[in-house]
Amino acid sequence: MRTFSLRAIFLTTALFAVAPAFAQDQSKSDAAKSDTPADSGAPAKSDNAGKADADAKPIVIDASKPAKVAEKDQASRSGNSADAKPIIIDASKPVKVAEQDQASKSGKSADDKKTDADAKPLIIDASKPVRVAQKDQVPATQDSTDGRSIPGPLRNYEKPVLQNNQGAVQAPPPEAFPDEWIPVPDRWRIVDALGIGGQWWDPYNQNVIKGDRPILGTDDWFMDLTGVSDSVAEFRSFPTPVSVQTTQRPGSLDVFGDADSALYTQTFIAGVDLYQGSTAFKPPDIEFRFAAAANINYAMVNERRILNVDPAAPTHRLDGIVALQEAFMDYHIRNVDDRYDFDSIRVGIQPFTSDFRGFLFQDNQLGVRLFGDRENNRYQYNLGFFARLEKDTNSGLNDITQMIRKDYLAVANFYAQDFPVPGFTSEAVAIYNWNREGGDIHLDENGFPARPALLGDNRGRDYDVVYLGYSGDGHFGDVNLTVTGYGELGQDRDNIFTNVPADISGYFFAAEPSMDFDWIRVRLSGLYASGDDNPYDNHEGGFDAIFENPQFAGADTSYWIRQSIPFAGGGRDIFLNSRNGVLNDLRSSKEEGQSNFNNPGTILLGAGADFDVLPELRVSSSLNHLWFADTTIVEALRQQGNISQDLGWDASMALTWRPFLTQNIVLRASGAVLSPGAGFNDLFTTNTHDGEYYSVLLNAIATF
Amino acid sequence: MIARLRPFLSMMLSGLLVLGACSKNDGSAASNTSSNNTTASTAPATTGSTNNSGSLYNVPGQQSLSVSDVQTIIAQAVAEAKAQGKPAVIAVVDRVGNVLAVYSMAGAPPTATIRNAPNPSDNTDLEGLTIPAAGAAIAKAITGAYLSSGGNAFSTRTASEIVQQNFPPEPSSAGLESGPLFGVQFSQLPCSDLSSRFIPAGGAAGMIGPKRSPLGLAADPGGFPLYKNSVLVGGVGVMADGDYGFDPNIQDVDYDIDENIAWAATSGYGAPDSITADKVFIDGTQLVFTNASNSTIKSNPSAAPAFSTSASVGTLTPVIGYFAGTIIPGVVYGTEASGIRPATSAEFDNVDAFVLSNGSGTNRYQATGGSDGADVGSPLTSAEVSAVLQAAFKVMSDTRAAIRQPLNSRAQVTTSVVDTHGKILGMVRAPDAPIFGIDVSLQKARTAAFYSNKNAAADLSSDPSADVRNFLPAARTFLNDTTAFTGATAFSSRSIGNLSQPFFPSGVEGNPNGPFSRPIAKWSPFSTGLQSAIVLTNLGQHLAYVTGASATDTPARCTFIQDAAPGQNRLQNGEQIFSGGVPIYRGNVLVGAVGTSGDGIDQDDMVSFLGLYNGGQTVNTIGEAPTAIRSDQIVVQISAGSVRLRYVNCPVAPLLDTSTQDVCSGK
Repeated sequence: MRTFSLRAIFLTTALFAVAPAFAQDQSKSDAAKSDTPADSGAPAKSDNAGKADADAKPIVIDASKPAKVAEKDQASRSGNSADAKPIIIDASKPVKVAEQDQASKSGKSADDKKTDADAKPLIIDASKPVRVAQKDQVPATQDSTDGRSIPGPLRNYEKPVLQNNQGAVQAPPPEAFPDEWIPVPDRWRIVDALGIGGQWWDPYNQNVIKGDRPILGTDDWFMDLTGVSDSVAEFRSFPTPVSVQTTQRPGSLDVFGDADSALYTQTFIAGVDLYQGSTAFKPPDIEFRFAAAANINYAMVNERRILNVDPAAPTHRLDGIVALQEAFMDYHIRNVDDRYDFDSIRVGIQPFTSDFRGFLFQDNQLGVRLFGDRENNRYQYNLGFFARLEKDTNSGLNDITQMIRKDYLAVANFYAQDFPVPGFTSEAVAIYNWNREGGDIHLDENGFPARPALLGDNRGRDYDVVYLGYSGDGHFGDVNLTVTGYGELGQDRDNIFTNVPADISGYFFAAEPSMDFDWIRVRLSGLYASGDDNPYDNHEGGFDAIFENPQFAGADTSYWIRQSIPFAGGGRDIFLNSRNGVLNDLRSSKEEGQSNFNNPGTILLGAGADFDVLPELRVSSSLNHLWFADTTIVEALRQQGNISQDLGWDASMALTWRPFLTQNIVLRASGAVLSPGAGFNDLFTTNTHDGEYYSVLLNAIATF
Repeated sequence: MIARLRPFLSMMLSGLLVLGACSKNDGSAASNTSSNNTTASTAPATTGSTNNSGSLYNVPGQQSLSVSDVQTIIAQAVAEAKAQGKPAVIAVVDRVGNVLAVYSMAGAPPTATIRNAPNPSDNTDLEGLTIPAAGAAIAKAITGAYLSSGGNAFSTRTASEIVQQNFPPEPSSAGLESGPLFGVQFSQLPCSDLSSRFIPAGGAAGMIGPKRSPLGLAADPGGFPLYKNSVLVGGVGVMADGDYGFDPNIQDVDYDIDENIAWAATSGYGAPDSITADKVFIDGTQLVFTNASNSTIKSNPSAAPAFSTSASVGTLTPVIGYFAGTIIPGVVYGTEASGIRPATSAEFDNVDAFVLSNGSGTNRYQATGGSDGADVGSPLTSAEVSAVLQAAFKVMSDTRAAIRQPLNSRAQVTTSVVDTHGKILGMVRAPDAPIFGIDVSLQKARTAAFYSNKNAAADLSSDPSADVRNFLPAARTFLNDTTAFTGATAFSSRSIGNLSQPFFPSGVEGNPNGPFSRPIAKWSPFSTGLQSAIVLTNLGQHLAYVTGASATDTPARCTFIQDAAPGQNRLQNGEQIFSGGVPIYRGNVLVGAVGTSGDGIDQDDMVSFLGLYNGGQTVNTIGEAPTAIRSDQIVVQISAGSVRLRYVNCPVAPLLDTSTQDVCSGK
């Protein structure tokens, strides 16, 4: 099972990687930058379908004790959808299951619905298994739960079903079983004896490279190798400015040129996980994990200075990188009780997410994290410190050949399951982000300035921000709900409009309720990120994330979340929003730029539905409407008054096909159309497609 | 030629100045009008005359600097200079460039040195020259006045930011294009046929503007616009540090003595906060207004000692060609006396139009037909010229301003039309358009007409300076076209700007220069290439005249290329190398050009381009250059790839009444 979990994690990694990358690719125009990157990001691509699932779950798991959990369900190891679920369930943290799958759902991923359904029954079973079986049973008591408190308020459960079935055969009494045990040196011989064996290339059966058996010469060291191939083809359009210095074609007499572009990206991820433990029987004592990603990406646009700052460079670009997405050691400090609640410390490049949906921070970064759980995983905590690695511009992957950024995070969070009600998990989080890159001059790999951003006074700046947040994920009865709220407080040493220090305070709220009707899940999405209402005061009121990767409102299926819009005319190499990001934060780059709290903010309202048309096929759809929260900043930068808040309608649909009902092969096709609103049209235009913009993604992920 | 001229110039210029003979205090000391004491922070005033029916613009208020205002400004500068321990030369001008006072403090440096090339041994053109400090102060004062308006207040530091090889000049912008007003410093030249000159005798034309500047526009911090009751009334310029330079990096905060003295001088006459350059964003980059502030100056301007001409403090300084030695009051902009006034309905059929006047009521550039019939067959008619100017004015009236506050102000520019000889066939401007655009619009039109002309190569080859002549073969080699500049291509001023960059394409560090530019080692705002070389002799003649080394001023007729007609060469106020000028064709025949200046460069392009297009549609006889011969058909191969020249670039969200974008495509 370790296999599974690993796999999931890798996927996650990939996803992470990808996501960033994608983001980048958007062209930076002015623009430009890059479009490609995104592509590259593709590797991981998680963005693809399914991704969300993978992402969300593994992450959660990690926080609590991922590896361990995973081990247990060996059975599921094969990559089927079953994988993800069983693992979670087994973990014996029922609530969590619910959360996870919610996350995934929103994220669009594939299996979710099914997962949900699964989770609930299991939860009940888990907590009072005895009851079902026994006729003369008494209600559960403290005793029956071994000292563990019963979650949530008391409810009136349905009466147990009591058998009254004449002639039925009773289960054998304990005495019917042998009372003599035959010891064998290790349990793997049993499967050998049973004739259950496998080939090295077969992850579905006993396999030493999948962590099912100890590696040679040891009896408690296991190795799990993982391979992922992630292929993306993406076709999209976005307002694309021509270069001011030269143009691709004669007759380009205006700012906006040909909006079409395409990118292709292929990523291979190879991971190895080495740990000492006892597979499913207890958490590993120590673990080493590495995941390397090799990415190649190719982008095509129709205007100059989109892919490279040099306008003489061609309108296509081939790039690649080998990146390190995971490299950590996890040391199991102690178990605090006989349920293997634990404290553990993890050092190195590791995935971390700030909340269920990745609104504030979701990345694989270099850090130290102390984490653990209590009360049979009812409570979980993380205390972490991260120093961010520089990203490869065109893939979004970690570039360890560059100096570590002077951007740091201190993180503390606490998860409580079944709070305030069973089936709902709450998280309180505090993150302190301090950035000391005021002295930096950092150009991205395409030559575009990333730090300081070319916005306002263009000066470098340091800033300190504390985020205080609450997130909840789970369900209230039949209604699934995810909510996240953040407040940000801090100081920016140089307000780009006033050139003097300014206080930062902004806020963010998002909620996504959903409900299942048999094979259909219907959801609503709402998000508000505050904008700044006065550039010239000493207050920055725009909310900005550290490294967002939102699994929300359709995620990368959505045009607005997937594509990045160059802020043509309002900032060179500045983007209205980021790739795989929902916030209108006017950054130079999600990956390489600094946070910008002088931004117009974002409002999103949407609805969507997922249809499990076939066990192998899910159809997801979303319809979102987007607005600026406040256009003052945009108006000042564009030197243009009366810009409408209305950004437009974003309609999208995705098909996710898992031909073998597993996660080993996932194919996804998605398409989105942005029908621009008055505000978008006040700012931009396209010379193609009647003023509408599209985003089409084709993605194939194969996982071993 | 340069080599010979430069020592000569230095010798002449370093002699000079000329302190005080006729200085005298001609006003009561330091009295201030009550309105002057605080920096205005209200919205830009556009009071003044009532709108005529159908008017879309307000006319600037009837304000001007009085003698006592000038004295107060100087006294405040003096107090700060004393506090700084740096005696200064202080110049005050009115909005149209009349020099109201030049004051030299005791001990002030008589000269300043123009900043060297990156490598001083590579100095060319103006680099490294010694110049009169008074000339530097006047140029800085004029720059503050000319670049500003009721909707924008720009300083010489602002000017510095928009004329360098990358925009903005800072380490992180290396690789990005040059400043939007790249080359504007070589305007308002002392040889300009358009700019008027100081007339010691006064008279009706004595105060008409725009006046010339001894050094063109300045990029050296220490020049600010002056406002009274939120109305632009002039500028102040200071030279104390002896360095006539520019700011190569806007990311740091400089402490510039000149700028602090000038900042103190503006106390009570400062620009409204709402329109200072830092409220203006070019492609999202905030312009810089000042690095000085009330907290960086060392004096209290409101407690400045009264204006004094006691020898121990300083004296008013006559400057040949600019100032007689007695403080004079500024003219009210918009009046006949100022040389810029509302057009009569007979002069121009638009209630908002302003024209240049000769001080006696005559429009200096009433629309007229071309003089080049011998060369072009059918020259532009006055009706055609009027149609283009009318259409351009209409386009301007619909255009969202790029450099003005409040947001969604209408653009205000000056538009000029010339024939192929460079003769001015008409000129019109908005009520509050910045003054600098008058001369620059004409330079742009002439530049487009000149380079599109079949005689361009011959004209360049006729210059007495080998340095100038050598630019032609360099350009032909660069373009891989041995017959370039013989009329086969329609060049916009933007495309000539493309070829005039010290990196080609613009801003790409490490690339060789464009053929009309100096290489980067020699390049600076004081030596741009052909643009500076072609007027270098004129500037030398003028500076010799100003310093008294020569009794003869340079003619009101820049350049020494051959005449297109007797007394008329095609670049009579110099050439300009940024956007806003396009040639006019009758079918396939070049018949003139239109140039616009005063707002954003893309707006300038659009007003000229659409003005010509729409005007051409009206008369149906003239129009844009055929697309097949426009400069954007020219592709230059460089090592990194291919670079196509531009023609025009019309702006984002260009029009006020519609969200239509891309308005120039297909025209």
